[in-house]
Amino acid sequence: MMLIPCPFCGHRNESEFAYGGPVKPDRPDPHAASDEDWVDWLTTVPNPLGPVEERWWHVKGCGTWLTIWRDTRTHCVVEGSGDAG
Amino acid sequence: MRDRRLASGGRIDRSRPLAFRFNGKGYRGFSGDTLASALLASNVRLTARSFKYHRPRGIVGSGPEEPATLVELEGCHASANRAATTVRLEDGMAARSVNCWPSPGLDLGAVSQLFAGLIPAGFYYKTFKWPGWRLYEPAIRRAAGLAGAPDAPPPDAPPPDGHFEAVHAHADVLVVGAGPAGLMAALVAGRAGRRVFLADERTEAGGSLLDRRMEIAGRPALEWVAESVAELTSMPNVTHLQDACVWAYREHNFLMVNERSPANPSMLERNWRVRAGKVILATGAIERGLVFPDNDRPGVMLASAAQAYVNRFAVKPGERAVVFANNDSAYAAAADLLASGVDVAAIVDSRDPVPDSARDLAGGIPVKGGSVVIGVRGRRSVKGAAVSKRDGQGASTIDCDLLLHSGGWSPAVHLFSQSRGSLRYDESLATFVPDEAAQACVSVGGASGELSLASALRTGAEAAAMITGTEMPDLPTTTGESYAITPLWRVDAPGAKGRAFLDIQNDVTVDDVHLALREGYENVEHVKRYTTGGMGLDQGKTGNINIIGTIALQKGVPLQDVGTTTFRPPYSPVSFGAIGGIREESVVLPYRHTPVTQWNLDRGAFMYEAGARWRRPGYFLRGDETFQETVNRECRAVRECVGVYDGSPLGKFELKGRDAGRFLDHVYTNLMSTLKPGQCRYGLMLTEDGLILDDGVAMRLGEHRWLVSTSTAHADAVHGHMEELLQTQFPDWSVHVTTVTSQWNNATVCGPRAREVMAALGTDIDLSPEELPFMRFADGHVAGLPARVVRVSFTGELSFEINVAPRHMRDLWEWIMEAGAPSGIEPVGSEASHVLRVEKGFLSLGHEVDGTVDAHDLGMSWIMSKRKADYVGKRSVELRRRGKAVRRELVGLLPADPNDQIPEGAPLTPGGEKRPSEGLVTACVWSVVLDRWVALALLENGKSRHGETVHVRLKNATVAATVGEPVFHDPDGLRMRS
Amino acid sequence: MSYNASFERLPISACFDLKGAENALVEWIGAEILPGFPTEANRRRSADGLSLDHVGPRHWLLHADIDREDELNAALRPHLAPAEVSIVRISDTMTTFRVAGADVAHVLAIGCPLDLHETAFPEDAVTFTEFFGQKALVRRCAGGFDVSVEQSYGDMMEDCLTRALR
Ligand SMILES: [Zn+2]
Repeated sequence: MMLIPCPFCGHRNESEFAYGGPVKPDRPDPHAASDEDWVDWLTTVPNPLGPVEERWWHVKGCGTWLTIWRDTRTHCVVEGSGDAG
Repeated sequence: MRDRRLASGGRIDRSRPLAFRFNGKGYRGFSGDTLASALLASNVRLTARSFKYHRPRGIVGSGPEEPATLVELEGCHASANRAATTVRLEDGMAARSVNCWPSPGLDLGAVSQLFAGLIPAGFYYKTFKWPGWRLYEPAIRRAAGLAGAPDAPPPDAPPPDGHFEAVHAHADVLVVGAGPAGLMAALVAGRAGRRVFLADERTEAGGSLLDRRMEIAGRPALEWVAESVAELTSMPNVTHLQDACVWAYREHNFLMVNERSPANPSMLERNWRVRAGKVILATGAIERGLVFPDNDRPGVMLASAAQAYVNRFAVKPGERAVVFANNDSAYAAAADLLASGVDVAAIVDSRDPVPDSARDLAGGIPVKGGSVVIGVRGRRSVKGAAVSKRDGQGASTIDCDLLLHSGGWSPAVHLFSQSRGSLRYDESLATFVPDEAAQACVSVGGASGELSLASALRTGAEAAAMITGTEMPDLPTTTGESYAITPLWRVDAPGAKGRAFLDIQNDVTVDDVHLALREGYENVEHVKRYTTGGMGLDQGKTGNINIIGTIALQKGVPLQDVGTTTFRPPYSPVSFGAIGGIREESVVLPYRHTPVTQWNLDRGAFMYEAGARWRRPGYFLRGDETFQETVNRECRAVRECVGVYDGSPLGKFELKGRDAGRFLDHVYTNLMSTLKPGQCRYGLMLTEDGLILDDGVAMRLGEHRWLVSTSTAHADAVHGHMEELLQTQFPDWSVHVTTVTSQWNNATVCGPRAREVMAALGTDIDLSPEELPFMRFADGHVAGLPARVVRVSFTGELSFEINVAPRHMRDLWEWIMEAGAPSGIEPVGSEASHVLRVEKGFLSLGHEVDGTVDAHDLGMSWIMSKRKADYVGKRSVELRRRGKAVRRELVGLLPADPNDQIPEGAPLTPGGEKRPSEGLVTACVWSVVLDRWVALALLENGKSRHGETVHVRLKNATVAATVGEPVFHDPDGLRMRS
Repeated sequence: MSYNASFERLPISACFDLKGAENALVEWIGAEILPGFPTEANRRRSADGLSLDHVGPRHWLLHADIDREDELNAALRPHLAPAEVSIVRISDTMTTFRVAGADVAHVLAIGCPLDLHETAFPEDAVTFTEFFGQKALVRRCAGGFDVSVEQSYGDMMEDCLTRALR
């Protein structure tokens, strides 16, 4: 059970959050992007062995959609608004 | 029966005798006993049969390391597979051995010993592969399995009662273990005012001090323990639990503690979920055995366990003992046994020479240096030990009924390792010790390889002083100790013949490990899985290090290079009930009610969950109706006169802001911003990959205020979707979202006579089709209650969705039933609603919408706005559409025989033959308007196949059906617009 | 009952959801009506029977007794509020359980993962967190805590609390 740093609430139990997946690049302009680029943006999700930037929704708390860097090997929150160790 | 209880001493209360039964026979023990100590006191030597070979076994240890004696508790203590050494004896307790029937003395399964040579490591993997493991599994489980879950106590036993609890806790410092190091740490942290949580798995504090005869500050050590416990009890900032095992160390300093005997008598166990700032691991060390032939016979026991039995429980585990050791600590055990009246025949020490420090402790017991035990006499109980020099010379047999052994001490690094801390092999201690911590924790005392009492007190105090930033306290003096070891991973003297066990619980021998290595399973994790060594309930607490040593010897590499297997929770077995806590029976899953739920229950509605945890009425049985008759009656009411259903669970969100219209244009496929206040529109939401997220209705309440209504099941998903877009993609857009799902309940009156019912209720809203046409809403009053009436229809009939505040919902509902009675109103459940929507071809997420179809497939191309340049999912749908893949499209099906019902989900194949499917039936209902079964289906190129006959392929039949439009009732929608 | 604690389900109270910039809200509502905005996250300010909870970024909840609901509605004029502020009456949305007694902290901890110790959760603290798995608004009351959950979960919460108090 991780402790996730919420910029509004501080560290909260993982069970208060909904997982939003790794952060993807900005949505491409659907009129300008090639088919390949669009499909790539849609389907290629970062999945590193190590720190990954990801979104969590503090759905049972203040409602903030927040971003943390979590090390997938250790669950350590390596950056963000606080350090959950 | 011989009583082996000592006349005095021990931590038992002789004024409180307890009666218990073991394998059907009655015995007596005392308060303070464990089941194991009470059995030993009653001279029960043969207590178990082994897992695989059904060899006779006795009690080996004195705590959670016990590998041999597993018991099943019956009646109100019901619990499976408990180590007898961890079961606190209670009056009336009944236990039986696992793995044997009818008793360990007469075990019919023991016949498998005859085939023992045929069951080597990996036997199951090799033998039962063909045609499938499933064929063999039940028989093998019966023959070799442990006890089952305690769900069927014997008929004469009192039923298990009581309940579990799981509770959160927060601590600045969590101290694991209340031995000398843990108590010292807790005292220092507690005195510093920190919130301290101290948990220890034994029934009383003291750790190893309970088992040994030590002194602190010149007095018996247990006096210091009692004073320390009293001081901790006096601190309001300290929570101190005994009989509470810390069984898991998870990420972010989150640990689980299983409290096995909470003060509340009706509570079976409590599971603490502790979030700790810092963790001090004072988990002590565990003695490991030595590996010699027949080291599993009843009467072969760890030296420290025997020491615990005489000192803590005042039980002599035998009359005449031989002690076999490779280190100093067994000498103190031997001395304690001698002092308690046990005749210690010899200490057999594999070291040559035996250090003086050890000899000094022997107290006159003959010491045989450079010698080993090469065999055990006696099958069901030890009768003697065969001893020789390490080179096999001078073999002799020493008569004894107790053979104690000690292979040295291993720090209990389990929790440290679970926390992902690394381990290092320490040559001088011949064991693995904690190396680098991965979380905010520190190991102290025996757990860190500091095996003396003095260093336990010192390291415990140091850790707590460091964490709290306080001064080191003055440390009391202690009994002096020495500890030296020369590792002996197995006895390989000539003449040492027979099975030498590494893992007594799973019957894993040295030969098994050798076989695994020969067959290429070289990694320690592979050896573990191939041999099952260390996979028992004891998780190899006494044996794993010997397996590692055996591998190292065989491969000729250092132990550090072999490494350990991964330590995983639980450290000791935990009841599933404790993990679940109060979440059992009616609250296993969450449930939601509307203000009408009780009304439904009062009328005997059949209730079930219908999305997002809402309990809803499925149908309202009346008299001796069948299910189908009930559903038909409810459907006919809606089609022919009037019905009412509770639509409260629909998701509802109020949107406010300058950019709300623009935002809705982005999340819906169709145009919403053109709506005028008072209008509403059905809409479809997609995910960015073009799949359908939800369908619902958007209403414009004012210039910048909107109400978005979603399906029940997807309300949370839509909420998350909207907030994510607003907070991450459009942070500059001015849109506020407020959930009002439970601020508005609604009762929907539907049917040709709905207007009549509304008039009877009384309303100040003009409900004429001119003033309030289809897809409009108006605010006003209904039956005197503030209400919003919305003209949407999910049934295809004239409908008035009356929205009120939940405080008024029950009144509104009852008044509707009253006002509707003359019109023949019926409450309508989910089953009838399903029929009504299928007749109309209204789609349902989860039926027609399954994650492969898009709006075009559903015949809803009209809802995919061409005017909007962009919206969520647009690009992806277009991209997919450009491919020429065959699409499955929504059609209606009329079975050739009107009485043929088609199971939902059934496949359509060409000609009904065994060929790739060309679609599936998504819904099939008895239509009250057509008086026949009708179905919806997704069919390849279905839109262009109207009039064709297709075939549903069932297990033993095919059903022919005609393809048509996916609508069976009022295709022009005149009724709902009336 | 083994715990020294009890609970009761309170009648509904008036509650308004306020979203937007603080100054825009003050400008629309008028400073004289509100108790003053709590500046810190997850804190409450109370005055004259009203309390204002800062429960999220640019998000407050205004509470009062139910008999003041119409008066507040008239003052807040939710449907007339300017585009940049959102005011929604949500009095019915939550149902509140008052849990009190000597063992109240333990009973709360059965349902709630948040540290509610007075050092971590002082007198004026208020927050959305989790109670028996559902979103819940938690704050202190005399001798205990008030816990509000979405009203559809009310019966389940009663079920859970009854079990927790065994
Ligand atoms: Zn938050």
